[in-house]
Amino acid sequence: MPQHLVHRRWFWYLPVALLVTVACLQLWLAYTVNLSPWAGGGFGMFSTMEGRGNRHLHAFALRPGIRRELDIPSSLNPHLERVLVFPSESALRSLAAELVHVPTPDAGPLAAIELQVWATHFDPNSLEPSGTLLRAFEVPIDPHENRSLGDW
Amino acid sequence: MKTDRWAIGELVPQITEMDSVGLALRLTLLALLLRPIGNWMIRPLILGLAALGVALPGLLRKPWLWFTLAVLTGLRVVLDWQLADNHGYLLCYWCLAIALALVSRDTCACLALNGRLLIGWAFAFATLWKLALSPDYLDGRFFRVLLLTDLRFAEFAQLAGGLTLDSLESLREFVTQHVDGQLFAVLNPPREPARFLWLARCMTWWTVILEGAIAIVFLWPAKQRLSTLRDALLLTFCATVYAVAPVEGFGWLLIALGVAQCDPARRRPRFLYLAVFALILFYREIPPVEWLAAFSHPS
Repeated sequence: MPQHLVHRRWFWYLPVALLVTVACLQLWLAYTVNLSPWAGGGFGMFSTMEGRGNRHLHAFALRPGIRRELDIPSSLNPHLERVLVFPSESALRSLAAELVHVPTPDAGPLAAIELQVWATHFDPNSLEPSGTLLRAFEVPIDPHENRSLGDW
Repeated sequence: MKTDRWAIGELVPQITEMDSVGLALRLTLLALLLRPIGNWMIRPLILGLAALGVALPGLLRKPWLWFTLAVLTGLRVVLDWQLADNHGYLLCYWCLAIALALVSRDTCACLALNGRLLIGWAFAFATLWKLALSPDYLDGRFFRVLLLTDLRFAEFAQLAGGLTLDSLESLREFVTQHVDGQLFAVLNPPREPARFLWLARCMTWWTVILEGAIAIVFLWPAKQRLSTLRDALLLTFCATVYAVAPVEGFGWLLIALGVAQCDPARRRPRFLYLAVFALILFYREIPPVEWLAAFSHPS
């Protein structure tokens, strides 16, 4: 049928509207909450090294006078990957709630879990890597119930 | 033997004469079958529906089949939106577009419009990221680091970039060292060969120019003259990029969208879309880089 005879209906544009809306939302999240450009439906894949493979996380258990780095159990890997891609406050709280149960040799009540998400960037000439702190977050732990605030 | 040859000879015109809608729908289902998606719960359902759609021609144009596929592919994205691939999102929009086209009066025009605009907008956002938003794309850093660190590109980096195994490993070790903050004094960082830098630069500009051109011609208001250019650019993109990038699912999806927007009167591009669909399957089974590497170093 010739183009000028086609009667287009509004709902024909729904899939495209969805694509554009999600991609704009992804752009906003990438700029405000460090969502990885590779993720979230914004078509930023193969445009930057800012993917989850070039981000890493350090977790610390804080007790009075002691700051101990935690080894993150492999069972939490899927959780960790989501945090690296989208280090939002709720994602970090949720991971901290899981890390409360990781054993440490230290005595004393657990006061907080500190989380740091780092991104690796590369020098344009030599490709020398450097780490940039994307987000640091401390989740206080209720000393009476030994539960993270993230559970509430 | 003669009858076999005749059968194959007749198959090609039969396929190219198939209407755009039927061909695009079949290619989408084939893509779902060849590159299954979703977790243990969703994957069997998607595979089952795709197999039914291919095996039973009566089901192919049933809107419920495509609405269900849209819901399942959508669930796959929503349940794990942070980790879902971009092509997972596009697949969901496309299944929804097919379902809406099948309930509308002019299925062919609706599907063609969606195929054209979905490709156009996806490439527009991809170009926006590369040209304006990413700090490490245009200066070539992205491909330099990707070729060194992504093991899937290791053979290509050696073959086309002129890296020896030793230099590849020392460069990889250098860029993947764990750093919080700055490195202490770096003495004699390994140097990338000129050919490798040239390769990264070529890949950078080839990709962004092609993606930008595709975005422009697909988003430009429909004109007969642009139709040829659209097909040529998309086919060139799929035939070249997926020879190196192992993301065949995205390639097959783009081919299905390309067929849907292709002018129904033009048989040759439709045949070429089918040929490139098969070519991407060939790339997956016999990766050209591995093949060339084995050919150049038979030991």
